[in-house]
Amino acid sequence: MSAWSDETMERAQSLVASYPDPRSAVMPLLYLAMREEGGPLTDDGMRIVADLIGYTPVQVQAVASFYTMYKRHVGRHLVSVCTSISCHLLGAGEVLAAAADEVGVPVGGTAEDGSVTVEGVECIGACGGAVAVQVDYEFVEGVTPEAARSLCRWLVDESPETVRSDDMQERFGGATAFDWGSEDPTDAVGPMPAFGPYGTAGGA
Amino acid sequence: MSERITITVDGKELEVDPGTLLIQAAQDHGTYIPRFCWHPRMNPVGMCRMCLVEVEGPRGPMLTTSCTAVCTEGMVVDTRSDTVKKAQEGVLEFLLVNHPLDCPVCDRGGECPLQDQTLSHGPGESRFVEEKRHFEKPIAISDLVLLDRERCILCARCTRFSDEISGDPLIEFLDRGTYTQINTFPDEPFASYFSGNTVQLCPVGALTATPYRFRARPWDLEAVESTCTSCSVGCRVSVQASHNEVLRLLGVDVEATNHGWLCDRGRFGFEYLRSPGRLSAPLVRNADGELVESTWAEALDAAAAGLRRVIDGSGPAAIAGIGGARSTNEEAYAFATLLRDTIGTPHLDAAVGEAPDPLLLTGAANRGIIGDLETARTVLVWGPDLKEDLPVLYLRVRRAATELGATLIVAHPAPTGLDHCADHVLRYRPGDGAGMLARLTGGDDELASVRDALAEGPVVAIVGRTGMTEDPGLANAVAAFAAGLPDARVLPVAHRGNLFGAIDMGMSPVTGPGRVALDAASRGRDTTGILEALDSGEIGALVLLGADPAADHPSSAMARAAVDKASFLVSFDLFVTESNRGADVIFPVDAFAEVEGTVTNLEGRVQKVNRLVPGVGQSRPAVEAIADLASRLGGSIPGTAAAIADRIRETVPGYDEVSWTTLGWGPGRDGVVVSASSPAPDGSVDGSAPDGMALHLGRVLYGDGTMIAAGPSLAKLVPAPTARLHPEDAERLGVADGGSVTVTGDGGEAELPVTIDPGLLPGTVAVPANLGLSFGASPAVSVEAVS
Amino acid sequence: MTDRILTTLMTEHPTDSHTLSRYEAAGGYTALRSALTMKPEEIVEQVKASNLKGRGGAGFPTGVKWGFLAPGAERYLVVNADESEPGTFKDRQLLERDPHQVLEGVLISAFALDVHRVFVYVRGEYPRPARRMQAAIDEARGAGLVGDDVAGSGYAIEVSVHLGAGAYICGEETALLNSLEGRRGEPRIKPPFPAVAGLYALPTIVNNVETLANVPWIVTNGGSAYDAIGPEGSRGTRMFSLSGHIERPGNYELVMGMSWRDLIYDVGGGVRDGRDLKAWIPGGASAPWFVPALHLDTPVTDDDVGRLGSMLGSGAVVVMDETTNVVAAALSIVKFFAHESCGQCTPCREGTTWMEQILERILHGAGRPSDLDLLLDISDNISPGLRWPPAMTTICPLGPSAVSPITSIMRHFRGEVEEMVMAGATHV
Ligand SMILES: Cc1cc2nc3c(=O)[nH]c(=O)nc-3n(C[C@H](O)[C@H](O)[C@H](O)COP(=O)(O)O)c2cc1C
Ligand code: SF4
Ligand code: FES
Repeated sequence: MSAWSDETMERAQSLVASYPDPRSAVMPLLYLAMREEGGPLTDDGMRIVADLIGYTPVQVQAVASFYTMYKRHVGRHLVSVCTSISCHLLGAGEVLAAAADEVGVPVGGTAEDGSVTVEGVECIGACGGAVAVQVDYEFVEGVTPEAARSLCRWLVDESPETVRSDDMQERFGGATAFDWGSEDPTDAVGPMPAFGPYGTAGGA
Repeated sequence: MSERITITVDGKELEVDPGTLLIQAAQDHGTYIPRFCWHPRMNPVGMCRMCLVEVEGPRGPMLTTSCTAVCTEGMVVDTRSDTVKKAQEGVLEFLLVNHPLDCPVCDRGGECPLQDQTLSHGPGESRFVEEKRHFEKPIAISDLVLLDRERCILCARCTRFSDEISGDPLIEFLDRGTYTQINTFPDEPFASYFSGNTVQLCPVGALTATPYRFRARPWDLEAVESTCTSCSVGCRVSVQASHNEVLRLLGVDVEATNHGWLCDRGRFGFEYLRSPGRLSAPLVRNADGELVESTWAEALDAAAAGLRRVIDGSGPAAIAGIGGARSTNEEAYAFATLLRDTIGTPHLDAAVGEAPDPLLLTGAANRGIIGDLETARTVLVWGPDLKEDLPVLYLRVRRAATELGATLIVAHPAPTGLDHCADHVLRYRPGDGAGMLARLTGGDDELASVRDALAEGPVVAIVGRTGMTEDPGLANAVAAFAAGLPDARVLPVAHRGNLFGAIDMGMSPVTGPGRVALDAASRGRDTTGILEALDSGEIGALVLLGADPAADHPSSAMARAAVDKASFLVSFDLFVTESNRGADVIFPVDAFAEVEGTVTNLEGRVQKVNRLVPGVGQSRPAVEAIADLASRLGGSIPGTAAAIADRIRETVPGYDEVSWTTLGWGPGRDGVVVSASSPAPDGSVDGSAPDGMALHLGRVLYGDGTMIAAGPSLAKLVPAPTARLHPEDAERLGVADGGSVTVTGDGGEAELPVTIDPGLLPGTVAVPANLGLSFGASPAVSVEAVS
Repeated sequence: MTDRILTTLMTEHPTDSHTLSRYEAAGGYTALRSALTMKPEEIVEQVKASNLKGRGGAGFPTGVKWGFLAPGAERYLVVNADESEPGTFKDRQLLERDPHQVLEGVLISAFALDVHRVFVYVRGEYPRPARRMQAAIDEARGAGLVGDDVAGSGYAIEVSVHLGAGAYICGEETALLNSLEGRRGEPRIKPPFPAVAGLYALPTIVNNVETLANVPWIVTNGGSAYDAIGPEGSRGTRMFSLSGHIERPGNYELVMGMSWRDLIYDVGGGVRDGRDLKAWIPGGASAPWFVPALHLDTPVTDDDVGRLGSMLGSGAVVVMDETTNVVAAALSIVKFFAHESCGQCTPCREGTTWMEQILERILHGAGRPSDLDLLLDISDNISPGLRWPPAMTTICPLGPSAVSPITSIMRHFRGEVEEMVMAGATHV
């Protein structure tokens, strides 16, 4: 079993301590496990999480596999195209097809170089900004098939270290579900939600 | 108990206890509501939705799962309305859409609730024309269990069992929605001591057991209820056979003992019955010194002649007998009668140096029963690691601690299976039990919270030897202490299947039949004493009944040498063993499921074992063989188990209520608890841990005994022995995990791989007791690194 | 009459409405300060009097729910920010643009409920709302509004943000609690309700983000002032998320009671590109659809919509124009529920997937005439009688929700479905 860095372990322990019951920390710890492994969730990651909270590894896996965001196989960036009803009505199918085609993978697949995974997802809460896309869970709204291609091209070609919602919206987005207000300078560091207290955000 | 309440089910008024689940209440009154996920011994989850009924509510009848609905006064229920029927048919159809319907090749075919309910409640034609869900099938999730996820209906019985009941959650629901599946973690098999229960619980053929797979169709099976004799808990079982071969054991739910559960050793341990090594003819040592097959008459004559020679030459006290702990009461009684009455020797024992003082087993003050755990506020376990030794008792204690809210205190020199649900764990070095007891009784501040817990009665204390290097006097002292706790109930425990029964039948050097303590003059040697006397030549002949001291005694090397010195050795057994391989005569006897009789469990509960299949070859019931031998020696012992049972009832104190008829099976028949008692043993103890390393010798569930070795399914589960060491000791010795040490005791030594175990106290080395090693019974050992 | 409670600050100060300084400058946290001087029961009474109903979908009166909170030294308030009902994106805006308003509502509610620990369960796909909420909590802590001694009152409160990880079902309150306890997000059997045995089996109130965001206004203006807004049974303002084939999609905070025509045409600017309206979903993907011929001039209130066999649910209005392939639209929704089913209940786990497979087949030209009745019968086996509000053979309403699009297209567009089956061809 590979070990986590001291700093990550410290963060893990403080997450465990922040709940009335250690098992409640399983979700944040799984994100931490993904960050530690550079993206995908691994068996070793789940073993460490299990150890930290007094679960057996399969109990951790039972939780992890219930959710869609603890991915076992994922590229450095995750492009999620919403296909639920509002986006469906406004052409999500084409946007998703364009994105997958641009990366050269079937839907759900990861580019051979590991740069990008393209998936279709259920409603991500940007229905007024259809078609909605997230890159590493950061929104880009009002995306056309052409914009989806450019977005994917950029991710594949430039393989940016991190992504930012407002930047991507400016370059690839269209109408938003609502006025986003001022910018949020947080960097998303990979295919997990960028959230400071979990140690899964960079920059800002 | 509070007032009964009235509910109406299908127009009939029923009186039920408040708090009863509707599905149970209906069933108790003759209305069976179909179900898959509900099981009376587990918390309801209401997942399968099969048990839907309509319950009258403020807004009219409402569909409700009867497995989750608690009966309330005035509740009005319809279990047969059109809505209910349609809903149930709908659920069945949903269950079948992705079910492979491979009933003809499924072990469950013919006894499958899904199949049965489809016939009685289900839709006819399939309207499902889509592709069914596919999984690789079947996959081995352990050495004993296979999983077919296509057949699985996701009832959560197996996962609930392993999480709630056995406490080893190694199988779980993975993924979700239509992709939900049961599985284990990669490289982490379902290695539970209780995995077989999930096979029995599975309402379809998703979980199957390798020992039974494809062996029989349910309609070809004959069955009889019996009592498992793998250990002294005495779980109720249904023994099932086809073509005179036992093929499986199922747990039967009785409140008193097992609640329907079995451990895997009990469940799958029957394979030795038809092992190729099983003795099928009497063996007599010929003039060339070889054991050769003979007739019964020749063998009996040879045995009688040999024993007669010893009696004539050195007197009856030069003969000793060991055995009975693996036999029925009737066999043990016959054996004790042969030894004490026919031969006339006081040297007889059913234990082999591993058990507690027989006076504790027969005379503990305030003796309790397993069922006392249901109402205990505090449970003290100061004895063997129950999970390894008495697995279903472990389940009952675990239930008390996790489900019923009892405070659990575990005292043991090494980590035990119960530690995870214990409120207090008292760890001490082997040999230091007396010190720990003194600290507990003497007011040590650190143990104040333990004392507080013990002050909350009712207290149930499970007391036995924690391991083979422990002075049996400690258990006596603990039992004496525990008997004085508030509302105390003491349950003395020992491992072997019918040790308690054998002692009750008189197979003990210190008590006669019916737990009657013998005066000093009538007392004989116990097994250790017998072995020493064999070694010194004071005892010349040995008679063994299913006992293997050369393998099972803590100083097995000494025992082997002693047994080899016997001038004449007679053995009644199923196999050639370490102990009888030098015998002069070996009689092949019938085994479990081949004889009828009774056994007595650790509570003193007498239960029936029944016959379903014949023995092998020329094997005979041990009672017959013993009676025949006795008559050749001038004695008279009834020659059938039934006749001996009558004799026991008439002559053995405490057994006067016990007859085969009163023990007839059926609901509510939980056997008869014998209440006779010898005086409690002296409860004083001293002694302390040795200065250097102290050895703990605890049993593991799958030891290397003959019966386990003779069954292919369990034989592969026998672990390789290791020496467990505290990290500090390992560091001091300069060994790492996986390195090697030599452990040397006064009764032998062994070189072992090291496992680091921070759960031990420094200065402790823990080695499995029943994996063929011999160190002697003293905790003082030396441990040296092997480079 | 007030017609805006929740969106004033973000409308007037688009760039910094999420900051403490802006929020306080606009009078923020005065409600909290005055609440801290009140008796907790008084606040509960005000909320009861307001007739505020939950905005998470079920529409249960908030004050009544609070009244059910069982006594106990340890109790919890859990904020449901799992917003995942297709069509809904209002909580996201409230969290991103005015998190202090939500937080103030949370703090007042916690004080009223004698709770000292709050969890805000934000869906995993909302890291930005989670960051904004976390930043608000940090700022408020810095200002002494969160912590051991809230605004010098001696009242202690901890608020933590917990991120979900992609599971719509975790919006169901008991699934959310299981998820927060570190288990699979499977709904629990009720009773017991969370108010009696919730998080860690302790008494717990679960409320939606928008619900709680109303609380500061209610404390400031009084419950009766809130109760004076909008028609009876649908008091206060409400966030509507408009999406689909609508000219001006977005979130609109509105007083209820207008007609659907007003909502779609006046507020939303009508159907995009001037097309005809074919149908709309009045309250999120779980809700049965409305059609112009029957519903366009009916009022937008909880009672009216309920009487007509649907619900305002999460306030998500999804508009479908004349070009909409209703089978494809229904498939999108059924597929959603099949994907999001937790899988516990046999009817939901198997039924949703089966319906998805049938719709898929019809859409791809392999429909059978018997499929229509089969779809309805499967629906009936999940939601017996196909009534409203739905009966269920399941633990939670997710299974029955998957039935809504089926009954909707069968009721209103059966001819179209039949035609598609007959033609055996796709009309995507
Ligand atoms: C399948 C399902 C999904 C739900 N999703 C949400 C949700 O995303 N957000 C929410 O606030 N409530 C959701 N609810 C409703 C919650 O169960 C609960 O009623 C609500 O959070 C209570 O808060 P309220 O009274 O303030 O509305 C959902 C219910 C169901 C059955
Ligand atoms: S109805 Fe569906 S989502 Fe709800 S509990 Fe049952 S299976 Fe899970
Ligand atoms: S038996 Fe009640 S839901 Fe399964």
